[in-house]
Amino acid sequence: MTGHDDGLPNDPEGIRLMIHALVDGELDAAAALAVERRIAADPALAAEHARIVALQAAVSRLPRPDVSDAFRARIAAIGMAGIEQQAPAESAEPQRGASPALPRLIAGAGGGQRRETGTRPFQTRPSSKTRLFGSFDWRALAASIVISAVLASGATQWLMFNGASDSFAAAVASGHRRSLLAASPIDIVSSDRHTVKPWLDARIGVSPPAPDLAQDGYALIGGRVEVIADRPVPALVYRHREHLITLVAEPQQGGSVSQPEDLSSGGFSLVHWSDGAFSYWAISDMERPELDDFVARFRKAAV
Amino acid sequence: MPDNGAVLSEKALAERFGAVVLPHLGDALALARWLTGNAADAEDVVQEACLKAHAGIAGYAGGNARAWLLTIVRNTAYSWMSRNRPRGTIAVGDLGDLDEMAAAHGAGLPDDNGLEASLIAKADTAALGAAIAALAQPFRETLVLRDINGLSYREIAAMLGVPIGTVMSRLARARGLLVSELGRAP
Repeated sequence: MTGHDDGLPNDPEGIRLMIHALVDGELDAAAALAVERRIAADPALAAEHARIVALQAAVSRLPRPDVSDAFRARIAAIGMAGIEQQAPAESAEPQRGASPALPRLIAGAGGGQRRETGTRPFQTRPSSKTRLFGSFDWRALAASIVISAVLASGATQWLMFNGASDSFAAAVASGHRRSLLAASPIDIVSSDRHTVKPWLDARIGVSPPAPDLAQDGYALIGGRVEVIADRPVPALVYRHREHLITLVAEPQQGGSVSQPEDLSSGGFSLVHWSDGAFSYWAISDMERPELDDFVARFRKAAV
Repeated sequence: MPDNGAVLSEKALAERFGAVVLPHLGDALALARWLTGNAADAEDVVQEACLKAHAGIAGYAGGNARAWLLTIVRNTAYSWMSRNRPRGTIAVGDLGDLDEMAAAHGAGLPDDNGLEASLIAKADTAALGAAIAALAQPFRETLVLRDINGLSYREIAAMLGVPIGTVMSRLARARGLLVSELGRAP
């Protein structure tokens, strides 16, 4: 365990944590590569890696509690309570929403103890907002996402005068540019599409096909979420030599199939096509022929 | 009353509640189930959490809606348990010694290479569920937030108010305990 010069911890506990982080998709590309090399060179680490992967798979197969229709209806009623009340003062202080209406709704839902539990939050209402957010600064955590959203919507507004398709292309292009300037172009780093797809699924509920085209010279290195036209859309990141390719996949509903179309401008190559399920935008600073080659291989592999 | 601004705003808040809270009820129930230990209590906890979420929906500033809701669910679960099972709960926020304990044990975890991944993969659901339920609270909540709710280390650290390193060591410890538990012959 000595003599490694890859920047990873050399103590057994430290390297163990790194393997967990690799399995969880928490490492950047360089660290992930270094850990993968360590695992390849050490059967004990490889066994540990396999155990973690197996355990995670077993845990993910555990049955999840059913959300019964009755329960969902009860929670949905909480959301509707504010509307039923229609008190003009409510909008000034929305966090007070619905308090008088709710105990009634809750009372029908269960026994006496449940009712008491349900009404409890209102008795402590004056401080509830501080308490809810005091220990957990959401604004800080969400800041980067909000900034992306602001930038993307700014770009969208600017392009309102152009066609919708042009504005989407411009947003894709600015997203790609921004990613090249950011500390890391990807939010989830993994060469394993079985990590990237669930990550995207968990964040935004959709994930496009993510074939690994490493044999063709286009390695899948991760993914991120772009916010375009106020909607989160999945983006995959591939690497070809020193070039990064961002592939934005906008989900389509009953969309049409279209052949690749060249939308390149401003120093970037941009190709757009759709396969019915997704509308794809591939952008890179590579030359067009190379990007066309990538698009052709992706379309072949994604079928 | 389409021209009434207040109603529209209530409507917008209700829509936001629908978009932010309703899609994540399954995750909320799963977290509450593992924190409280049973499904009936989980529904009570999630319902109370949703009332709080509704009250605070105007302050929701975007970002991962699931993590936002789960934070409320977690806090609600602990206050619910301290109300309803005063003896069963441990003081959250005073876990320093537990982490030290874990660190002391973590290094000493037997590196049992004879334990095959395939054995773990085949672990039966009841045994795995029991092993998770037997974990100490900080280990259990970290494992559930990561492997069942799918939150990132950063999100878990923010939610629990601990450094990322603590999240990582608790997670590794939790998984290590489960692995050795599942590998044990019945």
